[in-house]
Amino acid sequence: MNERTLILVGNPNVGKSVLFSKLTGKFVVISNYPGTTVEITRGEMQLDGEKFTVIDSPGVNELAPRTEDARVTCDVLRDHPDATVIQVADAKNLRRALLVTHQLAQQQRRVVLVLNMMDELDSCGGHIDVRRLSELLGVPVVPTIATANTGIHLVQRSLKDAAVPRWGRARPPGAPNVADGPAVRPYQDDGLTAINEVLSQTYSHVRPRHASFAQQLGWWATHPVKGLALLAVALSVTFWFVGLFGAGTCVDLLETGVFGRYISPWAIRAVDAVLPFPHEHETEVSDLKLEIPLTPAHGIELWSNEREVLSTNYKSEATGWRRLVHDFFVGPYGVITMALSYGFAIVLPIVTTFFLLFGVLEDSGYLPRLAVMVNRIFRAMGLNGKAVLPMVLGLGCDTMATMTTRILETRKERLITTLLLALAVPCSAQLGVLLAMMTRVSAAAAVFWFVLMVGVLFVIGWLASRIYGGATSDFILELPPMRRPLLGNVLVKTLARLEWYLKEVIPLFVLGTVALFLLDRAHLLDKIARLGEPLVRGWLGLPAQTAEAFLVGFLRRDFGAVYLLDAATGANPLLNAHQVLVAMVTITLFMPCVATLFMISRELGRKTAAWIAVFVFGVAFLVGGIVNHTVVWLGF
Amino acid sequence: MSDKPVTMKCPLCGFEFEKANAVCHHGCPMGRFCKLIRCPSCQYEFPEPSRPLTWLAKLIHPPRPRRPDALDLTGLDAGETAEFVGLAGANESRRHTLSLYGLVPGVHVTLQQKRPAYVVRVGETELALEADIAREILVRRTA
Ligand SMILES: Nc1nc2c(ncn2[C@@H]2O[C@H](COP(=O)(O)OP(=O)(O)O)[C@@H](O)[C@H]2O)c(=O)[nH]1
Repeated sequence: MNERTLILVGNPNVGKSVLFSKLTGKFVVISNYPGTTVEITRGEMQLDGEKFTVIDSPGVNELAPRTEDARVTCDVLRDHPDATVIQVADAKNLRRALLVTHQLAQQQRRVVLVLNMMDELDSCGGHIDVRRLSELLGVPVVPTIATANTGIHLVQRSLKDAAVPRWGRARPPGAPNVADGPAVRPYQDDGLTAINEVLSQTYSHVRPRHASFAQQLGWWATHPVKGLALLAVALSVTFWFVGLFGAGTCVDLLETGVFGRYISPWAIRAVDAVLPFPHEHETEVSDLKLEIPLTPAHGIELWSNEREVLSTNYKSEATGWRRLVHDFFVGPYGVITMALSYGFAIVLPIVTTFFLLFGVLEDSGYLPRLAVMVNRIFRAMGLNGKAVLPMVLGLGCDTMATMTTRILETRKERLITTLLLALAVPCSAQLGVLLAMMTRVSAAAAVFWFVLMVGVLFVIGWLASRIYGGATSDFILELPPMRRPLLGNVLVKTLARLEWYLKEVIPLFVLGTVALFLLDRAHLLDKIARLGEPLVRGWLGLPAQTAEAFLVGFLRRDFGAVYLLDAATGANPLLNAHQVLVAMVTITLFMPCVATLFMISRELGRKTAAWIAVFVFGVAFLVGGIVNHTVVWLGF
Repeated sequence: MSDKPVTMKCPLCGFEFEKANAVCHHGCPMGRFCKLIRCPSCQYEFPEPSRPLTWLAKLIHPPRPRRPDALDLTGLDAGETAEFVGLAGANESRRHTLSLYGLVPGVHVTLQQKRPAYVVRVGETELALEADIAREILVRRTA
């Protein structure tokens, strides 16, 4: 039965997943490898009426269990001793692939070598003598372009010829014996000499006169000046697409349009019909605008329309279970009118736009180049450029980013990155709300907020690295070629991330709303507001009612921020400009959400998580209070 | 500390290098009492040439001043290509990581940029490195 198993093995980023999906078609199971978070994908392939199981293993540079990914690949190979290995190679980087082939040979695996990305090999001026390579190694060698579906059939045809690669025996007479000359260095030889020999006989390269545009772009992206310009462009695009288009236009359409006009009124009517009790809902004016945003406050209006809709507010003397159930679903703290509308109408569009853009950046090969640009700065915080990936992902979802800190090599780096994520990297949902609040303060205050957040990030990072001591890992990072992102790839990744996100977030929203609902019922909200008064009113200078916001902020800080947003921008706002600024600062520095806290305790242990939580809340209130008192003292 | 870099030439393969770059065998029991020099290119060990002898040799055969072939990556200009010779430094994991990316003796590397980090091209792989790693990468100018 094992003979019918195929394992895809190869260096990272060689097109394994693309080849996998071309081989297997639809029925794919993605699962975490037992005991790890590394994902492996299994699928089925039909060939000549036979069924094969195909396994896609994580990309590795060597078959030694040095990293979690490599450990999984080694385990997968060990668990299927008779399976045929399809080694996928990036044709441009034949040397690195042969290193893996050599190790497969040592394990006596039967191998088919697939040279993928032949199109890119061509355009960079390389040439591989496929026949000769196949002769030297004694295994089938199949050139493919997985993205264009070229050569996939040949891969399937050659499976029956899979063989254990041999090394060094097929030297033709007359060929220079590299192993004898003085040119060979007794570097610790893991088959390096043999690989050099194979390469010299099969690989030739004529560098094209002109670099391609993608290559140029890649160089610009790490250039000290042009790189900064490109970074500025990337930031502006992100700001517009996520901050203005996602958090503005899309949220408006979904919140005011879909939820405000259809889903909520419909749900209210449905509940009223099922559970009638004497009451009459108020109506409110819903003003729906469709516009192309230019700044957080201005835009080009395309269309607008006003209409009266049912509101969640009503007056009634009735008591009893009907009213309770009614309120549970469609009251001011109702599951449908609050939790689902926050989750789907506010958070979803923002997060979707962010993950789309992140997918594009990831697929294009820009992110590692960003790591090169920021490496120096991150060094000061005891990190290196590699930490930029979790940090940027944190702008999408801090919980997901906390999980991604695993790619960092030392505990010190993981700890500092996690701390900074929890403290000062707002996730996109929260950023969207913060942007909306920003329209209530002056431009100077918005800039102040931004500078303060970046300042806190660096100061805390710097202090943490001083206190924690120890070395940071080497900065050696491969820069994959810049590519035009594939729409399909980006969409699939975005969908997978969204699914993960929704599963994580919607339950929390519902939980938070239910908690609020119960507290409201038990008339505890007022008590809590009074309890928090010294802190909220005395220290932060905010109205006592906002204690509620910080309370739900414990659950999710964007939830708390939405609360503050209501207080800041309602019909008769509760907060003045100075208070909005204080509220923004405090809520930005809050712990992102309970899910993040759980993730931290899973990654770093419960004790560390507790310390981080205490520290983060402490810093949030401390900095918020300092801002409040400074602004008051300066007399603004 | 010696102010001028001492250049020497390996008697076996003729490779010229700076004395500071001579890779000492990892874990050599002689430690710093060892008077042997190890060529970073072919790893041949030879005794440090004695002063009077070199002086004599120079009298007979005055050397032409030329810049040493072997230098570390930081000595190259952006855009230059050179042959990778070896790593000066005994950090096994670094050596291992780099070799996985195809940086093994004999390959040609092109230095693409030095700032904000070093970027070298090895074959079709582009690697970003920090200055302190670049300083350990010994190369030889070709052509
Ligand atoms: N030009 C070109 N790009 C490819 C080819 N195969 C895959 N890619 C791209 O290479 C990138 C990495 O592919 P992926 O399958 O995610 O690599 P994996 O990490 O090995 O699974 C994606 O952006 C693909 O679109 C190919 O044959 N030619």
